[in-house]
Amino acid sequence: MKKKKFLNGNRVDSIVTHIVLIAVCLVFLFPVLWLVLSSFSKSGSIYDIEGFFPDTLSFGSYKNLFTDTTMYDYPNWLMNTLFVAVFSSLIGTVLVILTAYTISRFEFKSRKLLMKSTLVLSMFPSFMGMTAVYLIMVNFGLINQLWSLILIYAAGAPMGYLVQKGYFDTISNTIYEAARVDGATNFRIFTRITLPLSKPIIVYTALTQFAWPWSDFILPNMLLKNKDLWTVAVGLTHLDETQFTRFAAGSVFIAVPIVILYFALSKFLVAGVSEGAVKG
Amino acid sequence: MSKYKRLTALLLSSVIISTMTGCSDSGVEASADEAITLRILENDTAKQEGYLDVLINAFNEAYKDKGIQAVDANMEEYSDLAANGPYGYGPDVIYQANDKLMTYAEDKHILPLDIEEFDCYEYVPEEAGDAFNINIDGETYCCGIPVNIQEPMLFYREDKMPENWQTEWDDNSNGVADFFENWNDLYAYSKYLRDTDASANKDSQYGFMSSFNNLYLNGQFLFSYGAYVFGENADGTLNSEDIGLSKGNSVTGLSALRQMAALMNEGCIDDTITMNRYEKIADGTYFCAVSTPDTYSLFVEKLALKYENEGLSEADAKAKAIENLKMVELPELMPADGDLTKNSEEMSSSDWVETVVMGGVNGYAISSYTEHREACVEFINFATSFEMIQNRMDMLGIAPTRSDVAEASGGVTDTIFESLSEGNIYLMPSIKAVDQIWVPTQTLLGDIAKDPFREAAGEQPKYFSQQEIKKAIEKVDKDIYDAIYTLK
Repeated sequence: MKKKKFLNGNRVDSIVTHIVLIAVCLVFLFPVLWLVLSSFSKSGSIYDIEGFFPDTLSFGSYKNLFTDTTMYDYPNWLMNTLFVAVFSSLIGTVLVILTAYTISRFEFKSRKLLMKSTLVLSMFPSFMGMTAVYLIMVNFGLINQLWSLILIYAAGAPMGYLVQKGYFDTISNTIYEAARVDGATNFRIFTRITLPLSKPIIVYTALTQFAWPWSDFILPNMLLKNKDLWTVAVGLTHLDETQFTRFAAGSVFIAVPIVILYFALSKFLVAGVSEGAVKG
Repeated sequence: MSKYKRLTALLLSSVIISTMTGCSDSGVEASADEAITLRILENDTAKQEGYLDVLINAFNEAYKDKGIQAVDANMEEYSDLAANGPYGYGPDVIYQANDKLMTYAEDKHILPLDIEEFDCYEYVPEEAGDAFNINIDGETYCCGIPVNIQEPMLFYREDKMPENWQTEWDDNSNGVADFFENWNDLYAYSKYLRDTDASANKDSQYGFMSSFNNLYLNGQFLFSYGAYVFGENADGTLNSEDIGLSKGNSVTGLSALRQMAALMNEGCIDDTITMNRYEKIADGTYFCAVSTPDTYSLFVEKLALKYENEGLSEADAKAKAIENLKMVELPELMPADGDLTKNSEEMSSSDWVETVVMGGVNGYAISSYTEHREACVEFINFATSFEMIQNRMDMLGIAPTRSDVAEASGGVTDTIFESLSEGNIYLMPSIKAVDQIWVPTQTLLGDIAKDPFREAAGEQPKYFSQQEIKKAIEKVDKDIYDAIYTLK
């Protein structure tokens, strides 16, 4: 009798939980679904959509993204975004991993001070220093150059080294001691021991370093004046008011590569985050 | 060890040298043989409709032997010259409205020009030329060359005219529908459409539609009744301390605006109608909507899309859309007492005032940061020639400031030109202080337009008497004054 009551209670709990979860999912899913369907609307404007969803569907907006480039050169914006994201990711990953490894493995003067300083500095929002960044870039002649974005993204990346440091902290010290006894140099230990053991955190770092420039708006909008150099995020915000479906199509398309990357590398991602979070 | 030191020193030196090279001035130092390249910032419509390509190609062809070539600056059309110019990233020649250009002029971001040096000078009316004049220490300088006049226009579909308009809506039998001649009949026809709307939600047919929060598109409710933005000093220069939106009978005009808003939907409170007017004119929901001549191609595009969806080929759809879409000036008469509900047939000539709309003059200016002033003058001279202005008018539907082009084309273009000459267009003041008028007026006009919807929702209206409107518009004057002078 007691068992039956328990089972009934369990079932009710499960149903309520599922209803709540489905409701929450719908709240988050609905805007995405609406945007995806709007991107297939035949008309260009949001005002042609009667009710929630478009009446007539078409691939026109996606076709226009890549063919009608007189005013809005989406393929070019996409290439610019890819260029910035790939190089920022490559350079940023190297810098973050080196920073985290150094902080994790080596004892040196002011190490604690450095850690505390970076922790405090990383709490300030990045847009706070935008005016200063703009003036520095102007004085270095780096406005209107994609490399200036890569420089800023990559240079700012090591500030977020804590997750990676947490991961390196979990690698047992005895492995390093054994390598040292065998006469391995620091460089050799890093390349032959640390890196092969750190695949999840490297993938996680590369992905996060890729995702930020891929979708950032503030910095490219400030530094890139020429339309030829715009990234997708900047370009989409400059679309005309009658181009809503093109905006929707552009937003959906830009999300595709990053979603595929996340799914393909999700195994590493989970391992990277969870293992990095063991020790802060 | 010393080997490492030498290597490190070498590396550091290379880094410093390469960095210094990278930091050196990247400005283009053209040699004597090198062509001068001018960066031209035009508006998006000119680019979209292909006019910019036509202009640049024609200029480059004409000036290929003189070593001058023009290119598209390829920047956002409203990119800020004040922010980009000083650092060397701005255009050489810029095309903008007079208020924007003169804001730059006040801060010395654009160069003064000798307008008489330009071929178009003798064809440009004084009013248009004056829009680009700035007075500094008693001297007047011209900082832009006028190209076209902008004023709010009515856009409508000819096939949506009532079938009986010649018998029922043309009392003076002059071949022009009464609702395009006076605001009382426009109100009456809009009311007729609202009253006969048989759709379940009563949202399928509207008459006159406009986003009332926009002063530029709805200035007639103020300027027709004697209001002004800035007063004038004795020497004719603008006095930004004298703000006159509450002057004259502007309260009367705002009462008329409130009446008209009752026949619209709540889209008139904000930018909704400004954004959906193209689709709603195309699908017939709105009978007519207010916009500026440079948006003509957008109306055509949306109407053509509708015809394409109905099965016409792209070319046929466009031809049919061009034939069907009409653009006329706003009705020229407004009721002197601001009461739009009065029957126009019972009104005498003294019961009317002439409609004065807000307008602007777009033109070319030369950036102070250009290294090629003379070449820029050549470009502007070319771009404002008879042929290029006519091309611009044909491709973009603009109303030119050149009298010879306006005369040659006739029709609406000539009418707009005449309105400017006759003083029925109140030009946006050409001083920097004008930047401060938009937000306060936007708030007030939107709030007055909201009043009928408050009443409909059972709430207490805010502007139930002219006194309330008077207080509100006087506060706007004060807010504008404070915005201009508080931080000065």
